[in-house]
Amino acid sequence: MPGSFCVSITHSKNDTDKATVGFVIANAAVASDKDTMVFLSTEGVRLAQKGFADDIHESGFAPLKELMDNFMKAGGKVYVCSPCFKKRGLAEDQLIAGATIVGGAKLVEFLGAGSPCVSY
Amino acid sequence: MIAEAWDAGDMGCGELLIQLAGRMRALVPGQIFELRAQDPGAVEDIPSWCRMTGHALEFAQHPVYRIRRRNN
Repeated sequence: MPGSFCVSITHSKNDTDKATVGFVIANAAVASDKDTMVFLSTEGVRLAQKGFADDIHESGFAPLKELMDNFMKAGGKVYVCSPCFKKRGLAEDQLIAGATIVGGAKLVEFLGAGSPCVSY
Repeated sequence: MIAEAWDAGDMGCGELLIQLAGRMRALVPGQIFELRAQDPGAVEDIPSWCRMTGHALEFAQHPVYRIRRRNN
C-alpha cells in the first residue's frame, strides 16, 4: 500500500504539545511506508534551527529531538517555509541536517499529486 | 517459532511504530516477531500498520501481537 503523507506543523515552543504530536504522527506515517513530508511553517520553522528543539520534551512523549532524528533516519523529509524562515531572521547555516528550505510550490506539488495532509 | 521479541512497555502511536518498523526490517522474510505493547491504541494501530506495510498479523491478543515479516 504505497502512498504519500504530509504533516504540517505550525508551532514550536509556543505550543510544544502540537509540535511534538506532529512529529509523532509523522513517525507513524514514515513507519507505515508512506513517502512522508513534514512541512514547517510560521512558528514551526524554528524547529529546523540547530539546537532549538533539544530541550523540548513534552510530558508523555519522547523528546522532540529524538522524534525528529528518528523521522529523518527512517527517510522522512523536512521542508521549511522560506518566507517564514526569513521573516524570523533565522540562519540558513544553522539548519538541522536533512532539512530543506522551500517555497510554497514544493508543498503545492506534493499535495497536488494527491497527498493527504494533517495540520498541527 | 518466534525469532525476536520486544516489550514496548507503554510506548504507543508513532514512537512505537517507528521502533517496530526498524525491528521488523532486521528480520529475515517469514520470521515471526512478538510484540508486547500495553498502549490501548495498539489494538487498532497494529492491525492497521500491518495492512499498510504488508506484514502479516498472525496473532493478536492485546497486549501480545505476533507479526510475520513480509517478503521484501
